[in-house]
Amino acid sequence: MTAVSVHRRLPARGLPVPGIVVALVLAALLPPLLGSTPLLSDPHALLLCRASGIAIAAISLNILMGYAGQISLGQFAFVGVGAFTTGIVTGTHDLRLPWLAGVVAAAAAGALLALLVGLPALRLRGLYLAVVTISVAYVGWQSLFRVERIGGGSAGKVIPRPYVGGWSFSDNATYLSLALIALVVVWQVDVNLVRSRFGRAFQAVKADEKVAASFGVDVARYKLLAFALSGAVAGVGGAVFGTAFGTVTGDDFQYSTSLLLVVIVVIGGLGSRAGVVAAAFFAVLLPDVLIGIFGSGIRGLDLVINAALLVFTIARHPDGMAGAVAEAREKRARRRGGEPPLPPTRPNLPSLGRPSGMPEPRRLRAGRPVLDVAGINVRFGGLQAVDNASLRVDRGTIVGLMGPNGAGKTTLFNAITGALRPDSGRVALLGQDVSDLPAHARAALGVGRTFQLIGLVKGQSVYENLLIAQHLAAPYGLGSGLTRVGASRWYEREIRERADKTLEGLGFQRFAQTPVGRLSHGQQRIVEIGCALVTSPELVLLDEPSAGMSPAAAEDLAATLRDIRDVLGRTVLLIEHNVPLVLDVTDELYVMDAGRVIANGEPVEVVQRPEVVTAYLGTAPVREGVSA
Amino acid sequence: MGQVLVLGLISGGIYAIFALGVVLVFRGTGVLSFAQGEIGTVALYFAYFLVTKQHLPWAVGAIGAIALATLIGAAFEYGVVRRMVQADPVSTAVATVGVTLFLLAGEFFVFGASPRDLPAPTRAGVELFGVRVTPAQIAALLLALALGLGLQSVLRRTDFGLGILAAAQDPTAVRLVGVPLSRLTLTIWSAGAALSGLAALLVEPTVGFITPGYASELFIVGLAAAVIGGLTSLPGAFVGGVVLGIAEAAANHWFGQYGLPGLRYVVVLVVMLVVLLGRSFAPDLRRRLEQPPRPAGVTA
Repeated sequence: MTAVSVHRRLPARGLPVPGIVVALVLAALLPPLLGSTPLLSDPHALLLCRASGIAIAAISLNILMGYAGQISLGQFAFVGVGAFTTGIVTGTHDLRLPWLAGVVAAAAAGALLALLVGLPALRLRGLYLAVVTISVAYVGWQSLFRVERIGGGSAGKVIPRPYVGGWSFSDNATYLSLALIALVVVWQVDVNLVRSRFGRAFQAVKADEKVAASFGVDVARYKLLAFALSGAVAGVGGAVFGTAFGTVTGDDFQYSTSLLLVVIVVIGGLGSRAGVVAAAFFAVLLPDVLIGIFGSGIRGLDLVINAALLVFTIARHPDGMAGAVAEAREKRARRRGGEPPLPPTRPNLPSLGRPSGMPEPRRLRAGRPVLDVAGINVRFGGLQAVDNASLRVDRGTIVGLMGPNGAGKTTLFNAITGALRPDSGRVALLGQDVSDLPAHARAALGVGRTFQLIGLVKGQSVYENLLIAQHLAAPYGLGSGLTRVGASRWYEREIRERADKTLEGLGFQRFAQTPVGRLSHGQQRIVEIGCALVTSPELVLLDEPSAGMSPAAAEDLAATLRDIRDVLGRTVLLIEHNVPLVLDVTDELYVMDAGRVIANGEPVEVVQRPEVVTAYLGTAPVREGVSA
Repeated sequence: MGQVLVLGLISGGIYAIFALGVVLVFRGTGVLSFAQGEIGTVALYFAYFLVTKQHLPWAVGAIGAIALATLIGAAFEYGVVRRMVQADPVSTAVATVGVTLFLLAGEFFVFGASPRDLPAPTRAGVELFGVRVTPAQIAALLLALALGLGLQSVLRRTDFGLGILAAAQDPTAVRLVGVPLSRLTLTIWSAGAALSGLAALLVEPTVGFITPGYASELFIVGLAAAVIGGLTSLPGAFVGGVVLGIAEAAANHWFGQYGLPGLRYVVVLVVMLVVLLGRSFAPDLRRRLEQPPRPAGVTA
């Protein structure tokens, strides 16, 4: 249980009730108290109200850019949609509903627009979302918000300040309380998001879409979800921002403000909530400060400064303010004598049962293989990468797949896991034809895999990676994840326990909080195998696990592989170049060359066949009495 | 109908030149540049400064403008892109967003929000289907076509062009073969920026005045045209520009009476979404059409 005590201190544990309560009380009380003193003047209160709205908008863009790795250059159009929706819902000439209804409607409108725009743009790889959102920014600013019914014509749309009974928030300092409370609530929802399976799935998608899919993340769906969530939060930001003004026109939501929002998020530090919020307040208050110092002739210079800062940040400090702070803190910690931890001894794989969140695997009739691959063909342009390849893997065996570089082994792996669609051929897993299923659905059936170049989220800690890998094991809904009420708490506790046990088994407790990218290659490989096994998949596909390992480590690997088969009772398909290792552990061996399976059978016998020797050595030195 | 076609081709030519700049930079460096529009605006302000303030001939202003645009492109490559070799193309794209905002803010700071006027080079023009067509407009369309085909053959036929294409695929390999990579990217960024300056100059006489963010409004249509053309195809960019120009003119003709403001942007967004929707669902559809349905319940 030593591992558990290490993780008790993790921020991921326990609901931070005191923190949020303190923040809410401060947000509610401080502005009215200060408002009655000269410390907070009325114009400054208004400025801070606007800044709160911008900060919420920045959090929304951070969800998309910082977590999910997609770019929106029209985020302020979503803010505008939120503001005008609030006006329509709460306005005295419109629906006259309470302010809170306006905020909810603003979030819904933002999410809806995001779905509409994101559906075509996010199924394709690349920067399509960026281009489409620029168009959205112009459509909002130049068209939609200028329509009389929506934007209220040249006079603009009135968004009344909220009131409760006879008590109104018309005073700026009083409204600031409400704006700050909204910011705190959004902040907390964002905290919950990051700690949920949804936030982790976004991180995985950002790092590598193929890796994310191998953990069972439906990439296209989660990109769309990130955009919709981001649109909803932007809508809330619009409600807060618009209500601060009281009247908004289309020109309050220009394209350039969308660009400013990108600047804010990058300067603050992609993925850093605190950095982004700080940068938002900085950007809104900067013009006022500049004018205070240099006089009004300086108006407009704030944008120049911000833009210059962005280019500087991107070119020199890609992690932004937050990154600079973290770097400084780490340097200090290192100076205090934090020595790099020792490498772990040989890992013991923990024997974990099936997670309760995943369905029982299909029963396999006796004699049926776990994996049955028939007639796979993959062509890349003129190159036949895989040529009519077939193989079968029986339960409880380790099957090896060898072949010279470029033989098509990894391509065949990708066809099996669904990372690519073969031109023809069929794949059956556990007796079920999965040829038409995408990669994430195959993962859900019980296939784990590792990648030649380490399939982990390198920027995240070992512990976090073990949670990301259990995406499928915690199938709670979005509502539960964002509020941390109900199913999510239960599932999160279970997968965190499984992660703890895995860490303990691997001997990686002291690395729990180390970013994976800092570990040695061999250590990363062990973490990757741990991640592939943490959901107890029936079949594990390992792509060159010994690559880059020392001979001693490779020997340990052989024992680990046998443990996977004999102790955990799993089935393994293994790509390997290390012939002694292959001969040591595999029960059956397939050899590929130029896309074709050229031999299969008993490993020691197969490697002596002339065609296999030819494939590896290029000539056919067939002599009498060749022995292994 | 003829009127729609003429109006569509006029604006389509301009969109196409912007789109060519986008595709050139994207193919050559893998970076989607969002700064092309504002580079054009700044170039135009420089021409205004030379022609209206310094009373120089239009041609001098035009040359100065394109020279400045080229210089900005080169400066960006030298000052920023070159220092980000290890960065992914997305970061560089975000850096171009910073440049856009920087130039936009600079325009406001120096010239203010009020429109500035750069007189047209000539008063000449011909009447086509009731539309007055100026030499600049004809030049824009012809130049777009010539540039689309010309740049394509430069890329495909010359060592220099092949070097550019290879550099976009694998910069390290290209450097190892001995291609001066930095000179290639410098050329690409400069040429892309020069195209923006050219497009801005050719469109200005049609509108007649300059405001901050002016060329960006046209550039975003060019960006959409590049996307419609597939982002990597120069002829595709030309076709995309013309398609959007005609779609806009047609929408103005048939829906203009309803008085929807900013109809251009709505048309661009709708056309782009339809094209992307088609492209993202086409593989699934093709697969379904090609593969005969298997009888239900069959497992391997």
